[in-house]
Amino acid sequence: MIWQFDILLLTLVVVCGFVSLWIKDLMGAVIVFGAYSFLMCLVWTGMGAVDVAFTEAAVGAGVSTIFFIATVFHTSRTIRYNKWDLSTKFFSSIICILMGFFLMVAIGDFPAWGDALSPVNNNVAKYYLENSMEETKVPNVVTSVLADYRAFDTMFETGVVFVASLVIFTLLLQSDGRKKLMKSAFQKVSFLNVSESLIIRKACGLMVPFMQLFALYVVVHGHYSPGGGFQGGVILGASLILLSMAYDIKKVFARFHMKFMIKSLAVGVLIFAGIGLICLILGGNFLDYSALSKLFPSMGSIKSRYNAMLWVEVGVALTVMSGMFAIYTSLSSNGKFEEGL
Amino acid sequence: MILNIISILFFTAILYFSSSPLVFYLLNGLSICLILLGLFFFLGTSIGVIRFPDFYTRMHAAGKGDTLSSILILFGIALFVLNTGTLSIGLVLVCIKILLIINFIFIGSPTATHAIMDAGYGTEVKHWTNDSEGIKKKK
Repeated sequence: MIWQFDILLLTLVVVCGFVSLWIKDLMGAVIVFGAYSFLMCLVWTGMGAVDVAFTEAAVGAGVSTIFFIATVFHTSRTIRYNKWDLSTKFFSSIICILMGFFLMVAIGDFPAWGDALSPVNNNVAKYYLENSMEETKVPNVVTSVLADYRAFDTMFETGVVFVASLVIFTLLLQSDGRKKLMKSAFQKVSFLNVSESLIIRKACGLMVPFMQLFALYVVVHGHYSPGGGFQGGVILGASLILLSMAYDIKKVFARFHMKFMIKSLAVGVLIFAGIGLICLILGGNFLDYSALSKLFPSMGSIKSRYNAMLWVEVGVALTVMSGMFAIYTSLSSNGKFEEGL
Repeated sequence: MILNIISILFFTAILYFSSSPLVFYLLNGLSICLILLGLFFFLGTSIGVIRFPDFYTRMHAAGKGDTLSSILILFGIALFVLNTGTLSIGLVLVCIKILLIINFIFIGSPTATHAIMDAGYGTEVKHWTNDSEGIKKKK
């Protein structure tokens, strides 16, 4: 990577971080934070980690910005002044400076970037890089590591998405008794009464099918190019979020019902864990896909690993898509699931 | 939208049927010109966003200039990709992907600008007039 470009990007990242802490208006801070995420995505692209950059662009700069905006919209847009604020800020700044100092000291102990003798490159990573193509026939090593060699980690990551969106959904879900309580607790500071625009609806209607097609391409083509379940799922969720922003949530729920959403949230994790369990029943280890060749004798162990990875990615995409949409709907409509932003 | 696909197909056909170095230099020059033009419009956009007096005129500069300049730069990059090395299906596929991004920006960016403008109009952001504060401060 060109070092001048690198330094420029890192400076901009630091500036964005400072500005997003500095701004009093929380909506502005959210937008600056989105810019920060996008700059981090560029840094990762420069380092060659295109999969991570893809995830950052989809999750960090795209969907999480919308989550923040929805939260700010329903709580408070400005930071309230607190008497204890100054002393706590002083205390926390001392802790931050000390922590930063220790981290800076620890940087000297890191191995050089791309060092062949560093522990990272000497343990399992070497084995994955050398044997991934022979054992799984997947050219994109990131996908084979994530969905096959390290499938345990990915399964629990999917579980984390599942639990997080379920918790947000159940915390914000309003029954009639709680509605009054919530109304007094949350005061709407700003209420945009935006007129329903035909232009936005038509343009969204034109874009959404292509977005979903692209998301399916990202999910399926993760074996060969950057992408996979997480990225594709987030893009699918973003297309649903776009529809519910252009129309309202009820319109999307008519096609993609709330019960169905929660079910597919669980089914995604079930597919992932179920494939692992089938492997266990067939005599292999948990998530050892080569055992699946006993079930489908025509595939062989390499082909069965290749195909099982695809199914696992589909499961991840299902969970992430409905998880993102569940979080957005519960945050933006304050748990009422009627209008949204 | 169809126009850029047709033009890329046209350039592909030119590259396919002729192998003289003149075509190579011409296409490279064209892509460099397009990218430079796009950068020029980006400069204009950023000057406009900083210098214009109120919300609506700033959004006008951001929406128009941003769309046009990113389309020009992406088209230049598409031509540049088409021109590297020997012509193959892979290069044309990369080209078509860049064209799809162009189409996405062509629809998405003006719509986003319209949405922000509409929200500003809905919340009654005051527009700039000749005798408002912007002029008074300068005097």
